[in-house]
Amino acid sequence: MIAATVNLEPGQRFPDLDLPDHTHRPRRLSELAGGDPLALLFSRGWWCPKEQRHLREVTAAQGEFEVAYARIVVVSIDSPEVQSAFRAGLGARFTFLSDADRVWMDRLGLLEETDTTHRPYRPTAFTLHPDLTIHGAYDGYWYWGRPTVEDLRRDLRAISRAVRKDFRG
Amino acid sequence: MGNLPHGAAHLSYDGHALHTGRGPGRCFMVDGRCLAGEPVEEAYAHVCALPDADASLEFDQPEIQQVRRDALAWWIPLLGDALVCLTTLALDASRYGGAITVTREPVAWSEDPFARIFPGCVLRTGLFSTVLPPPGPVLERYAGVAWPGGAF
Repeated sequence: MIAATVNLEPGQRFPDLDLPDHTHRPRRLSELAGGDPLALLFSRGWWCPKEQRHLREVTAAQGEFEVAYARIVVVSIDSPEVQSAFRAGLGARFTFLSDADRVWMDRLGLLEETDTTHRPYRPTAFTLHPDLTIHGAYDGYWYWGRPTVEDLRRDLRAISRAVRKDFRG
Repeated sequence: MGNLPHGAAHLSYDGHALHTGRGPGRCFMVDGRCLAGEPVEEAYAHVCALPDADASLEFDQPEIQQVRRDALAWWIPLLGDALVCLTTLALDASRYGGAITVTREPVAWSEDPFARIFPGCVLRTGLFSTVLPPPGPVLERYAGVAWPGGAF
């Protein structure tokens, strides 16, 4: 495994990724967070049945994220065109970021080593504060390691409680 | 229309042309970023609004939420690089008066989801500047700051 150059443990600041989105527009992760809590999902790609299943589950919850002022961002090595088609097929309204050139993969240390055909991202998920401080980290190499929607609710509730001054209870 | 919230700007529409500030015509509040940068000359503005004072709906109406979901899901991707900016038109803390999508070139205006609420017309304009499209959410944040503007 290539050693990561950044520490992705809870409490650390996640790098402010700069990648094109599914429409080719250059984006920064901090801009996509936009002051809101964020679920950041690294995905193998459109072909993987596990990714399809998991992202369907996340997409089904997107309406809840929207009214709760929380964001979802997916990163994969798919091209923006492929991501755009995959996103449309899912019915997703959230942003996909394309790292087709793997510019962040080595720095993050998130190469999926067992898939030597696609060299995709290792399925990994993070819940982040608006300033990109890591709250939770999930290794989804094995499917049960991925955050369920209930896991995301729990994390985003905790982050919102921490960052929204008028969050009571 | 009372005090202008931080992040908002006034824009008026008389049924024929858009004007920055209050009037002539019906005055709306827009996402101020759309008027704050270097203007894109000879742009196309699809104005989905009416000059009539009673043409409004609550932002919380399901239809108004849904057009914003559609904008995020496929309208913005459909526009691609042609998009300059888009903004809803707020009348006050709770009322929606329309929306404007601004592009560099003619696009498939008939697909504009905001035209489901109020009919659209295309105007040439040099008022608007480029703003990255919103990644979400579909709800406005602070009263009077038209979606997608505003922040906590």
